[in-house]
Amino acid sequence: MSLAIINGSPRGLKSNSELLMRNFIEGYCNIIPRIPEQLFLAKASDLAGIPDKIKTSQNIIVIFPLYTDCMPGIVMQFFEDAYESGILNSKNVGFIVQSGFPESKHSVFVERYLEKLCRRLNCNYLGTVIKAGVEGIRIQPPSMTKKLFAAFSLLGEEFAKTGEFDRTIKDQLMGRYEFTGATIGLLKIISKTGAFNMYWNKKLKENNAFKLRNSNPYSEFRN
Amino acid sequence: MKITILNGDNKSNGNFTGYISELSKILATENTIEVFDLNKMNLKFCTGCWSCWWKTPGECAMKDDAGIIFRSVINSDLLIFASPLTAGFTSSELKKITDRLIVLIHPYIEVRNDEFHHKKRYDKYPEIAVIVEKNSDTDDEDLEIISDIYKRLAINFHSSLKFFKTTDDDGVKEISLAITSTKTQKTQKV
Ligand SMILES: Cc1cc2nc3c(=O)[nH]c(=O)nc-3n(C[C@H](O)[C@H](O)[C@H](O)COP(=O)(O)O)c2cc1C
Repeated sequence: MSLAIINGSPRGLKSNSELLMRNFIEGYCNIIPRIPEQLFLAKASDLAGIPDKIKTSQNIIVIFPLYTDCMPGIVMQFFEDAYESGILNSKNVGFIVQSGFPESKHSVFVERYLEKLCRRLNCNYLGTVIKAGVEGIRIQPPSMTKKLFAAFSLLGEEFAKTGEFDRTIKDQLMGRYEFTGATIGLLKIISKTGAFNMYWNKKLKENNAFKLRNSNPYSEFRN
Repeated sequence: MKITILNGDNKSNGNFTGYISELSKILATENTIEVFDLNKMNLKFCTGCWSCWWKTPGECAMKDDAGIIFRSVINSDLLIFASPLTAGFTSSELKKITDRLIVLIHPYIEVRNDEFHHKKRYDKYPEIAVIVEKNSDTDDEDLEIISDIYKRLAINFHSSLKFFKTTDDDGVKEISLAITSTKTQKTQKV
């Protein structure tokens, strides 16, 4: 099978998307010992080669981080180009959308867009894997990321075997759709304690910016 | 009322840009309007560096024309996302600046509408509206998908989606009326 991975993270090589795909590729190569190429939309030198790579691959996986409840601008630009050139037509195309907030609900709206895009471009839609709560994985200790990386590795392995995203792993990664009932009450209380802000406070302090955290430089006097 | 229009037309002086400039002329008689033709500006894509949240809070690290847009947006009563549709969505030109609007919110997290969202950085955020021009292959399903995504954006942006209009269904007069009604509702609330 021929597979090309389009990495749509604006962070390029230093992205959570890359880290997840590294594990996917590892699993994939357990079955097909030929490393699939990963092309980065954020890397100017990769952009020119994308059309050729897509032409020679029957399977395409596009991974991107959720940006303001949708795809990042560079990914939309890629979709516009594909729409103009027809390059994705008749390909098997799957997506992986990963995001910061812990509920997968945030990503299901763009998923509807992706499914429709495939119909529009006449490509065979392989589905969208959604993984929430990903911000921070690059600095988390291995004990925290072990399960996630193992799941991505298995996702890659199964993909190499079947050319599809395995349903069970996909559901496992999708995790919690939203918080409800008593959990939401508890989360509201925790949220008031500021516990969810520890990551941001740490980073603000590291950058000597903690005191400035509430600045609002663009506001104007208004009556 | 102060209105900011982000025009994501990829073509310079295309039909859509003509529509937006006609609309802004009508609106300018009673409102303060700022229209940004994004494709004529020097604007870069967000790189996800988080400088705006943890290095220079509230300010983007990128040196380009986005600062004047941020200022205009946050001091507006109504923010209009305007764009022709291609590939089933508003343009990448518009998405480029939309990504960068996170400079206007705070990294801190809260549970709002029973969901995780970011806190406010500013006291007040503009209402949101969307105006799109259909493409030859646009159908009702596309419009529903796009409007649902903008509704989600509005929640994240401490705002709400006031209206979602297409240029085919609504002429500049209807749209300016819809905008005036935004204003009326506002006045009533006060
Ligand atoms: C500009 C911007 C907008 C974002 N918008 C959202 C969002 O709407 N919802 C969400 O859950 N996460 C959002 N995130 C968080 C990213 O999706 C998350 O950090 C992701 O893991 C980054 O992946 P990457 O390193 O591969 O780019 C946003 C991040 C940035 C920089």
